[in-house]
Amino acid sequence: MALIRGREKKAAAQIFTASMADIVFLLLVFFILTYKVEVDRTKMDLPDTWVRMKVPEKAAVISISPPDDRGGLPLTIRVSTGKEMSLPVSTDEEIVTFASTEVARDPNKEFIIKADEAVPYERVDAVLDALKQSKAKYIFLLSDQKTVDE
Amino acid sequence: MNIKKKEVASEIFTGSMADISFLLIIYFMITSAFSADRGMDFALPEDTDTPEIKQEDSIDVHVLRGGAIEVDQKSLPLEGLLPYTLERLKQNPEKPVILRTDPDATYGDMIRVFDRLRQASSEWTDLDGQPLYNDVHGNPLLGIKTISIPTQREIENLWSMLGIQ
Repeated sequence: MALIRGREKKAAAQIFTASMADIVFLLLVFFILTYKVEVDRTKMDLPDTWVRMKVPEKAAVISISPPDDRGGLPLTIRVSTGKEMSLPVSTDEEIVTFASTEVARDPNKEFIIKADEAVPYERVDAVLDALKQSKAKYIFLLSDQKTVDE
Repeated sequence: MNIKKKEVASEIFTGSMADISFLLIIYFMITSAFSADRGMDFALPEDTDTPEIKQEDSIDVHVLRGGAIEVDQKSLPLEGLLPYTLERLKQNPEKPVILRTDPDATYGDMIRVFDRLRQASSEWTDLDGQPLYNDVHGNPLLGIKTISIPTQREIENLWSMLGIQ
């Protein structure tokens, strides 16, 4: 015979969520502070170098991505003033026009060349030539950190 | 007559705050990118201070297709580049290094050599930044003063000026 005893009070199983809002706000503040719009989102394999320095934030970006055989995409050059998202250009003259406009606006304008390591040097040479024609003074070549095991 | 009024509790509804915050977090997490923001710099010469460089006054580094290098028309392994440059600069520290790259070589090949040349300043000094080598006049060698990267058009212009086809 089962004896019915006085029901025991069960402690409610609950997760303490009061501090969740604090954590969420902390993360929110972190992401807002570190938020930076990346003007060129082309994924590429940058060359690795030992010598690296910080590139200026507001510099214009010229990205050169290699031809993609699988996607059937040709070699693409994109330019951005550093404020807007990058746009593709089709001829070298367009790069000269773009760079000249930027240099006219600010003679000390910096240019970042973001090129994949597999890009034929001929194309990088053409971009460098366009920048020289536009009287650009400061150029940065974007790279990844080289490590000893490479 | 005493009429008791029911007081309406005044409070701000915060139940949805967590939802809004999470939505904002997700937005900022997805749109913020830890972009590559480091690289190698080089300054282009201004028109006014472009020095006249004669080929015999310079160290000519030619990056060939496939990544091999020729220094002053002699093939050299990449490890031998800085020791050779050091010996030449000891004679004349003002000598510029001209980095030419074959159009069929890749950008990665050129960057590898350029990076090697840029390491001169750290390899030729000790940990305190003191120079390890001196030139023939006894002045310290702190690195390569000028690394020039001429474009194909500039090289062709120079050749046509010199009458070389």
